[in-house]
Amino acid sequence: MKFQDLSIKRKLILMTMLTSSIALLLSSVSFLIYDLISFRNLLTHDLATQAQIIGYNSAAAMAFKDEPAATATLSALTAKGDIVSAALYSPNGQMFAHYFRGKKTLANVVPICSPENSYRFEGQFLEVCHEVTLNGDRVGTLLLQSDMSQWSMRARRYATICLVFALVSVFLAFLVSSKLQKVISGPIMHLEDTMKMVSANKNYEVRAVKSYSDEIGSLIDGFNAMLSDIQQRDGALRGANDELQTRTLELEEEVSQRKQAQEELLNAKHVAEEASRAKSTFLANMSHELRTPLNAIIGYSEMLEEEARDSEKADDIRDLQKIQLAGKHLLSLINDVLDLSKIEAGKMPLHLETFDVRLMVSEIVTTLQPAIEKNKNALRVRVADEVSAMRADVTKVRQILFNLLSNACKFTDQGTIGLDVDRKLENGQDWIRFQVSDTGIGIAAKQKENLFKEFAQADTSIARKYGGTGLGLAISYKFVQLMKGRISVESELGHGATFTAELPVQVRTDAADAALPDGSRDSPTAAARTKTDRDTILVIDDDAAVRDLMSRFLSKLDVNVVAARSGEEGLRLAAQFHPVIITLDVVMPGRDGWWVLNQLKADPELSEIPVIMVTIVDNEAMGINLGASNYLVKPVHRERLVDLIEKYRVTRSSAPKTIKIPVSISPTRKTQGEVGAENPRRR
Amino acid sequence: MMPRILLVEDNEMNRDMLSRRLQRKGYSVLIAHDGEQGLAKACSEIPDLILMDISLPFIDGYEVTRRVKANPRTRHIPVIALTAHALLTDRDRALNAGCNDYDTKPVDFARLTEKIENLLVNEKKL
Repeated sequence: MKFQDLSIKRKLILMTMLTSSIALLLSSVSFLIYDLISFRNLLTHDLATQAQIIGYNSAAAMAFKDEPAATATLSALTAKGDIVSAALYSPNGQMFAHYFRGKKTLANVVPICSPENSYRFEGQFLEVCHEVTLNGDRVGTLLLQSDMSQWSMRARRYATICLVFALVSVFLAFLVSSKLQKVISGPIMHLEDTMKMVSANKNYEVRAVKSYSDEIGSLIDGFNAMLSDIQQRDGALRGANDELQTRTLELEEEVSQRKQAQEELLNAKHVAEEASRAKSTFLANMSHELRTPLNAIIGYSEMLEEEARDSEKADDIRDLQKIQLAGKHLLSLINDVLDLSKIEAGKMPLHLETFDVRLMVSEIVTTLQPAIEKNKNALRVRVADEVSAMRADVTKVRQILFNLLSNACKFTDQGTIGLDVDRKLENGQDWIRFQVSDTGIGIAAKQKENLFKEFAQADTSIARKYGGTGLGLAISYKFVQLMKGRISVESELGHGATFTAELPVQVRTDAADAALPDGSRDSPTAAARTKTDRDTILVIDDDAAVRDLMSRFLSKLDVNVVAARSGEEGLRLAAQFHPVIITLDVVMPGRDGWWVLNQLKADPELSEIPVIMVTIVDNEAMGINLGASNYLVKPVHRERLVDLIEKYRVTRSSAPKTIKIPVSISPTRKTQGEVGAENPRRR
Repeated sequence: MMPRILLVEDNEMNRDMLSRRLQRKGYSVLIAHDGEQGLAKACSEIPDLILMDISLPFIDGYEVTRRVKANPRTRHIPVIALTAHALLTDRDRALNAGCNDYDTKPVDFARLTEKIENLLVNEKKL
């Protein structure tokens, strides 16, 4: 394991021990060297002094060549343990006297030792050379040899002490550093433990304990600050998470509640629909149950009346007629109640279709003739010129007028009954107004309020005198409402009454657009069917003003004008009425005129109907290519349009119906040229 | 020879009234109380025309008409449906079942006899 990877604790111990060991070693070694050197110097000095003393003592003996005296002097050296050899040399260099502790280690001839009194290390021995002088004359040379045993002993002892001391110091250093490193490693390890705990348990609440105000202390401070920060954020996050969870739960609950509410609503709807169905079924059954006995009552009384007529019993005839009248009254009551119930149950659908108002009016007048004549009344009918076709539920419009007119007949005696039909523009909407006036008994002001309510005939005595269910006006009122129109009355008691019903020229139901493609529902009405003697012209334009204008332009032609406000409706009406001519706008919401033209030309039944484009789009080439017979750019001149239509009508009546009218017949081409010449907008 | 009309009607009063009025008009009237009897008489008597009440017990008038029209022997007999329901769908259902015409109760007798005459004339032409 590398030193760098050791734990801080070990690093610190090792570092401390190493440092102290190096310091100890260096100091011990230097001290030892110094001591050994100084000790050697001391020994050398000591040996030199010895040599001087011995040289002085042996000088006389040397001078007198007294060898025994010299040897005695030298033998005194036995007391000095470290001196192994000593020798005195005569001036000529021959050994004169000597001392050897052991074997002989000195040469017989004096070694060269210059300068005099010097020392030298010879192997393991220290040698000192000394000049022996007597009265300034050199009398010989002394050589002393020491084996340095003291020095080596001292060196050995010193080394041992140093070693022991070093070991003890290293041990002590280990102990001390082990204790002291905790000051540094302790907080770091604590920090590490804390960190592990935080990361393992994700517990941001624990804090490292700060022991000292050193760098580690500030590190711990920083760590703790970081932890608090994290804890705070964690808390905030947790809070947000909790809130989110709560919100999610709330949302889920809300969703389930809504689902439940929806289911309940759906159930309620089913129940309501079931109840409504049950009511309708009940009404249908009731009406059947009531009609069956009525059938017998009316039938028998009619039969008896016939028999009474045969046997000329006048009194019986009158009574039997009263029974019949009562029976028929009861029958109309049943019918009216059934109608009202249907309206209230929302079961009275509108069957919208386009029909000729004039024709419908004349049919009603015919039907009402007996009622008019009954009270010797006169009828005056006026239909304004601009009134032609309207789109509504023809059955209901007829019933409204029938109710108003038969009321007028009923409450007027030998008077005049008027029917005025006008067309008016109001708030950008096109209305048809039916006004039924009479010169009858009139209605009191306070009775007007309840006039359109069910079973609220102005006076109960009226029912007895004039008959009627009192439901006619209520039904008319509801029908008018269904078609988004309005109905009102003006009257003064004794001075007749005027009822005004206003209906949009184009009645729309909320579901009108959805019902549009369902053409089968709008079967041609009696009004439309019976009018084969008059030519029908179909105007397809989304602009009500243009439709109105075209209707007025064409009203002089003794033709039946049918208007469609969209391409789809136009196609449907074309299939329904097989018009002699179609005028077609290009720019319309939904399907445009080009599409309609394509569809018309693709249908074998409709392709031969001439189509005159009437548009602000200046693209004659396109129109002619798609099969249009003529192309007029708005604004259109009445004479031009009327001329064109007259030409086509002539062409049509002279040609057998099975022969297809060619698109490029000469009048068409010629007309195109004329249009081009007179329309400055055409380039 | 008097035209023979089969009247299928479960209500006694209406049956009595209608048959007496038809007889007064010079028709010979056969009576059936319900659909089953009506079918049987249509096959055995081969009347010139059938007046069929729709609301009959057990087998309703639509079904009886369907069976009359399914039988090659009786297929040619014109059937006029009579119903107290004054709904448009009833008319469609009656015509779909094969009825030649349709009228509502209470019967407008003049209108009914007109319808009868029309159908009888047509039948003679064939």
